[in-house]
Amino acid sequence: MEEVTWIELLSRQRDVVSRHRATTSTVTIGRAYDNDLVLDDPHVAAHHLRLCRDGDGAWFAEDLGSVNGISVKGVRHERVVLDGDITLQVGQVGVRVRTAGYAVAAEAPLARTQTYWPVALISLSLVFTLMLFQQWLGETGEPKLIGYLTPLLLFAILAAIWTSAWSVLSRIFTGSARYGLHLSIFSIGLLLYTLCAQASEVTAFALSWTALATYTYVVGWFAFAAICFAHLRALGRVQIPLKVICVIALAALGITTESLQQSDQRATSGQSVTLRRLEPPVLRIAHAQAQTTFFTSAANLRNTLDKAREKAPSGNESGNDE
Amino acid sequence: MTDRSLHSWRKPLGALMLWLACAVAGGVASAQSLPQPATAQSIGSPSSASAELSATAERIYASTRPSLLQVRTLVEAAGRQSSVGSGFLVSADGLAITNYHVVSQYALEPKTYRLEFARPDGTHGALSLLAIDIADDLAVVRLEGADLPHMDFDPVAVAGELPRGERIYAMGNPLDLGFTIVEGTYNGLVERSYNERVQFTGAINPGMSGGPAVTDSGKVVGINVAKRLDGELVSFLVPGNKAVALLELARKNAPLTLAQTREVIDRQMLAWQSGFYKAIEGKGFRTTTFGPYQAPESAAPWFDCWARTNVEQTPKPRAQMDSSSCNSQGSLFIAEDLQSGHVELTHTYVRSGELNAFQFAAFLSRYYGLASLAPSWSAKRMTQSECHEDFVAPSDVAGAPVLRAVWCARAYRDFAGVYDVAVTTVTQDRKNEALVSRLTMQGVSYDDALTLSKRVMGAIAWKK
Repeated sequence: MEEVTWIELLSRQRDVVSRHRATTSTVTIGRAYDNDLVLDDPHVAAHHLRLCRDGDGAWFAEDLGSVNGISVKGVRHERVVLDGDITLQVGQVGVRVRTAGYAVAAEAPLARTQTYWPVALISLSLVFTLMLFQQWLGETGEPKLIGYLTPLLLFAILAAIWTSAWSVLSRIFTGSARYGLHLSIFSIGLLLYTLCAQASEVTAFALSWTALATYTYVVGWFAFAAICFAHLRALGRVQIPLKVICVIALAALGITTESLQQSDQRATSGQSVTLRRLEPPVLRIAHAQAQTTFFTSAANLRNTLDKAREKAPSGNESGNDE
Repeated sequence: MTDRSLHSWRKPLGALMLWLACAVAGGVASAQSLPQPATAQSIGSPSSASAELSATAERIYASTRPSLLQVRTLVEAAGRQSSVGSGFLVSADGLAITNYHVVSQYALEPKTYRLEFARPDGTHGALSLLAIDIADDLAVVRLEGADLPHMDFDPVAVAGELPRGERIYAMGNPLDLGFTIVEGTYNGLVERSYNERVQFTGAINPGMSGGPAVTDSGKVVGINVAKRLDGELVSFLVPGNKAVALLELARKNAPLTLAQTREVIDRQMLAWQSGFYKAIEGKGFRTTTFGPYQAPESAAPWFDCWARTNVEQTPKPRAQMDSSSCNSQGSLFIAEDLQSGHVELTHTYVRSGELNAFQFAAFLSRYYGLASLAPSWSAKRMTQSECHEDFVAPSDVAGAPVLRAVWCARAYRDFAGVYDVAVTTVTQDRKNEALVSRLTMQGVSYDDALTLSKRVMGAIAWKK
């Protein structure tokens, strides 16, 4: 009986591109049309290599004098003894030889793919509701439907575009789009961020920590980085450290840019930071200071101002008369 | 320049005072292109009385004209005038009086500008700056010369005894058109101004600043300084006695250097504001009621108070807002982009039956957000502002609400010890009612600002 051998051609990503059934004990591979197997790769010689089966039935590969040669894991060889797990690098193509006796992995049970749609829809509607609720709480004029619909529409479009982009990446790298998963990552992330931002605004007022309200954008960038990380992780649990570094770098860049922008804006407008939003008086937790304490702190600002005064902006002629 | 009609006149937020140096740039420049031949309005044939009057004016003009000066500020590099005003000689050896605001560009940037005079006979030459008085907007300058024609002060006016209604004549060079004389009425000191100013009912125009206003005997009563843009013929003079006093000081002065000018301005600003804040304290405060609250307002006569409400707005606002704002009349001119000495105290009572507690707080945030200092800021003149905010408990817990308060201050770069300060408070006791109070002080010493703010904040309370 003639033993069947399969010669598999692999892409650069090591996916099987095609499989060829070989029944002879010698197979020649190259770009020329007199080969048994023709490879359309410019880095492959006309007659690149020959696969032979020796007397024991083991396959080996021989270089036929090509420029790029044949290599295994980056090491070039004139002659390589093959088994089913060795991939030969021929030009940009991978070549693998498997005989009929090659043991395949056991059958994987058909897992029920988890559906993320309920999570996605629930969290998305929570985000929508929260946004509308926030807007309603800040409404000081006559509420208008258009005022609520427009941001809702913009937000829906943003969510769709963002999720689609990640789904496309997911389709490329994992083979399935997983729209529901990416949508739920986005909406849960946004939900948490909205809650955090809201809490920090209220806390800033309640505890009288102005800085907290000022630096809410830091939370925002971390939330953004976390959402990106979750999306990346969903694309495959490989190279996690690299992904972590990437999103941290992204957050750092965002925070730096925004800090610079804010300080620059303060320098051009001359304005200082104060609380942007007041909350109902019942939310106050901080102990009210005595008037004398308040005015002592106010008096202490004088030193800061006098120091700032010494640092005259460049180009001022005040240096000449001192 | 403002088209407000007299009957519907309301106090706008900006200053309405026009200092009358004639700047070449800006809105005033367009006024310069105005001189077109008089339109068909006939002047009318003079009656015998007006013939007599015009004879007086003619005599005064003829006798005082040689003592008048046009004071020009020129850009050193270009040699062209950047602003013009007027002045007049007061001694045979070349001392002359003008307004500080006429020479302010030169005083603060002597490297960029130079000062020149032009006399009615066409001669011109350099001026040196000997003394300034920013509180009264005066400057003493000197030109080289001897046996110059000059003017004297009217002793009756210097003693403050000139009767109201006296006919006086303002002279100067309006809009750089040539030396003119304007007839008008002396109306005594402005009662509601902290700075002593004579109200002159007559047309004085940009370019006449620093020129003299004289009696029919040609003696100086005061110095042209400003006019109100929102009225007709409401003009102001600096009383002559201020000039007499400054002249005494200046007589032995050498020309001021920049460092000296800055030091003098600094000293004068601090002295002026110290007097002003003491006077405010001295006049006391009256208590005004705003819904369930009461708040202090200065009883000093030189505060101009106006009420505003949003009730008539359409669509009907969901929170009603009634405010009462008191401005100190007048301010100090330091430079074109630095006018100081202004005090404003505004109380706004906000209430709403429609908004919930969060919405009402959001409504108040708009006013609280304005807490930091006014946007007229230049990095050249001021430091960035610094703020401190916190909840403040009243000293009398039973009688007054807790406040959310923010103190913002910035320092003047050129003048040590002078600051702009704004203090805003919002009452924190009810969910749909609040009193927002805002005290703004320009060109104030830190201690005086603290004192007045303590005074005001301490008096915000529940209605007794």
